[in-house]
Amino acid sequence: MANIAAQRIRREFKEVIKSEEVAKCAIKVELLNDSYTELKGEITGPPDTAYEGGTFVLEIKVPETYPFNPPKVRFITKIWHPNISSVTGAICLDILKDQWAAAMTLRTVLLSLQALLSAAEPDDPQDAVVAKQFKENIEMFQMTARHWTNVYAGGPHVNKECDDKIKRLVDMGVEEHQARVALSSYNWDIERATEQLFS
Amino acid sequence: MENAINLSSQAPESDMECSDNDNDCFDDDDYYNIVDDSEIEQIDPSKTDPENFKYDCLGEEQVERLLNETVECLSYNLKITPSLAKVLLLSHQWRVNKIIEKFRKDASELLISSRIKPPVTPPSLSLSRYITCPVCVVVQPAEKFFSLSCSHMFCKDCWVTHFEVQINQGISTAISCMARDCVVLAPEDFVLKHLSRPSMREKYQQFTFQDYVKSHPELRFCPGPNCPIVVHSTEIRAKRATCSNCKTAFCFQCGMDYHAPTECSIIKKWLTKCADDSETANYISAHTKDCPKCHICIEKNGGCNHMQCYNCKHDFCWMCLGDWKSHGSEYYECSRYRENPNIAHESAHTQAREALKKYLHYYERWENHSKSLKLEEQTLEKLRARINQKVMAGVGTWIDWQYLFTAASLLAKCRYTLQYTYPYAYYMDVGPRKELFEYQQAQLEAEIENLSWKIERAETTDRGDLENQMDIAEKRRTTLLKDFLDV
Repeated sequence: MANIAAQRIRREFKEVIKSEEVAKCAIKVELLNDSYTELKGEITGPPDTAYEGGTFVLEIKVPETYPFNPPKVRFITKIWHPNISSVTGAICLDILKDQWAAAMTLRTVLLSLQALLSAAEPDDPQDAVVAKQFKENIEMFQMTARHWTNVYAGGPHVNKECDDKIKRLVDMGVEEHQARVALSSYNWDIERATEQLFS
Repeated sequence: MENAINLSSQAPESDMECSDNDNDCFDDDDYYNIVDDSEIEQIDPSKTDPENFKYDCLGEEQVERLLNETVECLSYNLKITPSLAKVLLLSHQWRVNKIIEKFRKDASELLISSRIKPPVTPPSLSLSRYITCPVCVVVQPAEKFFSLSCSHMFCKDCWVTHFEVQINQGISTAISCMARDCVVLAPEDFVLKHLSRPSMREKYQQFTFQDYVKSHPELRFCPGPNCPIVVHSTEIRAKRATCSNCKTAFCFQCGMDYHAPTECSIIKKWLTKCADDSETANYISAHTKDCPKCHICIEKNGGCNHMQCYNCKHDFCWMCLGDWKSHGSEYYECSRYRENPNIAHESAHTQAREALKKYLHYYERWENHSKSLKLEEQTLEKLRARINQKVMAGVGTWIDWQYLFTAASLLAKCRYTLQYTYPYAYYMDVGPRKELFEYQQAQLEAEIENLSWKIERAETTDRGDLENQMDIAEKRRTTLLKDFLDV
């Protein structure tokens, strides 16, 4: 790995650990190997959003050309958000693409991602299904996102109705996550979800 | 006549000068003016030929010169460096007057919107002798640091790496400052000052050149493979430009294959549609058809659509399988698509089927003429071989047979236009204008098939007859373009 990248990551790592956000438990970075090429990030869901109370784990890969190219970041924790793929965790965020600047740091990336959770941009979607729901039925979206936060990110809001519907599909032999995706995609209409799953 | 007197008084060896004098006296304009009132009319091709188009094919150096003239003009007018002039020109499509006007109105606003200056005045530079580079976090003496107009300081090594990484991604004129949320662009002189590797400098200059040409409304790269030619024209319209180097002909406006009489946006729509629906259409436009009279299977091996069954000698049209006699004489009906007038009352399913039928009608004809063009190229090759034999056998010279090649290239030109009339017709609204268009299209098609028929049987066709047919076909083509080519 290029000297400059390792040097920067080492420095940034200290910066994040010392930062006040860590003190507030808002962001966290962990090293996964000695060569500073792979890291694990963590952000908490911002207050007053559907993600509140959840902890979201991120995969961070540092390219050779860092910091002249952006780090590659994706969500490991499953999340229901217009700009994040519900399947792969891929993120659509300008600073991770062409708006990256070499002077940005891991800390700014994590804080930007947290900001993305509070302010989605449905007109520049990564997940078309989620973005459509966001634009057409914001309450349904909020409910679904809160349910996903509860199930995958340890959020506090249990939604019994959702759990029941999923259980009904699981009883029919559908895998749990698959059932959740189908129901989420069809606004929790169990008949249409079933139709899609068995067609 | 003063010249005449001069001439006669001069020594005989001044022959050269004598012709020079002649030119001085009667330059072209004078010559035409003199004879204008007699039977020779002055012909202005831009009025009579709807496809007339003035353009130049330029090499890289000529383009550089053309661009540099503009750059120098602006840099002189605004008293700025050529490098900054380039940034301004690039963001304003090379409209010098517009830039000068904006500059006079509000210079600061222009420099900010063109990303030369930052929107807010940068804080005063730190005076400390050592600075930490925010990118590589190395502490170095201040003289190793550089910044753009935004005063964001970075060390030289980081600037170099930044430029190299960007250039390797194909980015050149759009390289910006490394600071967060800073949009100030790195002008050419700043980049070149730091880049030392010759390969990188070369790559950078190559990419900026491409960006300049692409942003210039009067310049187009020739779309031919690996062709370095740039076509220049002050007339930015959907006209045909032919590259002087690789002979690729393309539409100056959109850079695609030339497509008169169809518009750029329509041809794009049509080609996308064809690409999407090609499976069905491929299936339907099979290569063979049965003779409508004796039902023997026939493979089309020539470009002409006037078919004669080798078995029963029945003359028919390859497109509609109708009798050829009714094509040539009364009314050429084959190119016309008959829209079902009661379609609005039919079910969605029938409508969809009708839409597919309509598309296939135009697509088949479009495809068919495209194939004919290719087959006629083969015909030309065979013709060339036969003429070669004739010349060898002493039957005429190459010059005597030249008219056949002229005929073949005219045929290709006409058929090409005919091919592009089909997307035009497909997107036309039903009405008298479409009827007129299809009438003219039918006329053109009939004459093209006649011409093709005659060229395939060149040796037995009378030369005068063939030349007459060429004239008719070309007249039909220009008439159609004059009435419908709207660029």
